[in-house]
Amino acid sequence: MAELTGRRILLVEDEYMLAAELAFFLERHGASIIGPFRSVAQALAVLDREPIDAAVLDINLGGERVYPVADALIARNVPIVFATGYDELLMERAYIGLPRCPKPIDKSALLQVLQRALAHVPSSSTARS
Amino acid sequence: MFGRLEPVNAPTPTRGPPTDQLLRLMIESAHDYAIFSMDAAGVVTTWNTGAERLMGWAHDDALGNTADVIFTPEDRAAGVPEKERIEAASRGRAEDERWQQRKDGTRFWASGLLMRLDEPNAGFVKVLRDRTAAHLANEQVRKSEERFRLLATNIPQLVFRSMSDGNRTWPSPQWIEFTGLGIEQSLGFGWLDAIHPDDRPPTLAAWEAARKTGEYYCEHRLRRRSDGQYRWHQTRARPISPGESGDWVGTMTDIHDLRGLQERQKVLMAELQHRTRNLLAVIQTIVSRTLRGSDSLQAFELEFSRRLGALSRVQALISGVDYQSLDLRDLLVAELQAHESSQLDSGKVTLDGPALPLPAAAAQALGLALHELVTNAAKYGALAQERGRLAVRWQVDQHGTERTAKVDWKESGVVMPQGAPRRTGYGTELIKRALPYQLGAETELQFEADGVRCTITVMLKSKTNG
Repeated sequence: MAELTGRRILLVEDEYMLAAELAFFLERHGASIIGPFRSVAQALAVLDREPIDAAVLDINLGGERVYPVADALIARNVPIVFATGYDELLMERAYIGLPRCPKPIDKSALLQVLQRALAHVPSSSTARS
Repeated sequence: MFGRLEPVNAPTPTRGPPTDQLLRLMIESAHDYAIFSMDAAGVVTTWNTGAERLMGWAHDDALGNTADVIFTPEDRAAGVPEKERIEAASRGRAEDERWQQRKDGTRFWASGLLMRLDEPNAGFVKVLRDRTAAHLANEQVRKSEERFRLLATNIPQLVFRSMSDGNRTWPSPQWIEFTGLGIEQSLGFGWLDAIHPDDRPPTLAAWEAARKTGEYYCEHRLRRRSDGQYRWHQTRARPISPGESGDWVGTMTDIHDLRGLQERQKVLMAELQHRTRNLLAVIQTIVSRTLRGSDSLQAFELEFSRRLGALSRVQALISGVDYQSLDLRDLLVAELQAHESSQLDSGKVTLDGPALPLPAAAAQALGLALHELVTNAAKYGALAQERGRLAVRWQVDQHGTERTAKVDWKESGVVMPQGAPRRTGYGTELIKRALPYQLGAETELQFEADGVRCTITVMLKSKTNG
């Protein structure tokens, strides 16, 4: 059984090729991808429609910042991982302590961070039933 | 000077020395004081040793001559000696502080007292003391004070004087001008009114700290009267004399623009970091996608270096226009020129369309897609075959407030390769998936009978969006 089997992971990334690459990788490890989405509005719109176990978020989405999505996910107790080109220095202070994978993404590191974040989260598919 | 007097505790009461003699002795021995008398017209009648020493005139020379010679020529011309005698005659005494003159013409600062003698027409007695040193010291202080005021009121900084707790004792005119608070309003702690309310606690806390460190430092916002704007200022102050002192001098420097630049620099740094890292991430995807589509490492190397070349051409174009919009035509020309077989001037290629500025973010995705089209054309299509032609035409349509750009890539005269359907490659994915995802574009890619046809329709945003 793959590491992320049964996990529903929201992917927010404005660069198609990066999004496609990450989606391909996470799916290969058993995850179902919600998205990918390239804007805050699109990502926010899906939160109430789909159960989500964890999220991988790029911070700079073609000029807008992903933070409203992060806030909404934190409010729902959904663990998030930032996949970003930003150093801590350039992030909003409130989000600095959260898990972060610097770009270019080390995929095996991302996998570990996601598994750690999901360790205590029951799978949404079983929780709903 | 009393050395010759009888001891006061003599066993039997004795008479003191004759008053005349006592006075004469006192006057003669008072070397630091010039004491002399004159008649009602100002002619010298007595002249003590102190007068000889101070003024340079010997007793015998002075006697019988006018005492006016000790005044400067300017004062004599202005009738000062006579006025003094008139004042002393009517009021009993006349005091003055002024420059006086010695026999050799040098001057000294004297504090003088002219007293009228009681007997009618007895004349006057004058006592003079040389106060030159003290006067020069006072002058020095006054001039130094003047220089401070001159400096404090002419530099662009707002200057103030203060007690060690921040209690202000003097604001410079620049402060008054900048804040609109008058002197009275600024004294004590009135100046706090001009500080942003949020910055007042740290401003006062910094004064607490300054008493320990001997130096005040604070950055806070100060309200400008002319437009009500709070502008960042850097305030520094130190005690005038080191050690224990209640008197501090400080300056407030406007650093608002500087702080703005620092903020801007941070934003630019963030943007730069975002772009650099994203570019690396894009390269990372190109590597893995190219690797998956390559039969051999040689094939990988060739394909990867071409794609990297396309990416760097787009980057060069974008940085050439300072990350503002760049024109579609420039993007096409750069990509076509990169292929030797493109023969831009040979008539094989037609480029036709209006100026079409593309946001930097769109340019990168579009540049990579165009690279795949050009590469394909140069390998198998219009640019590879003698009779092949390539026409790229574009137009901008206005529908109400919306503007759409339509790009039409059409190859013709191409003998299409026979056989198996083309596998879906990186270029196809860029056109069919990436452009719709990133730019919201509608795309079509068809392999027609005489060549490849690709149309890209994209909505142009009215707002500038990188």
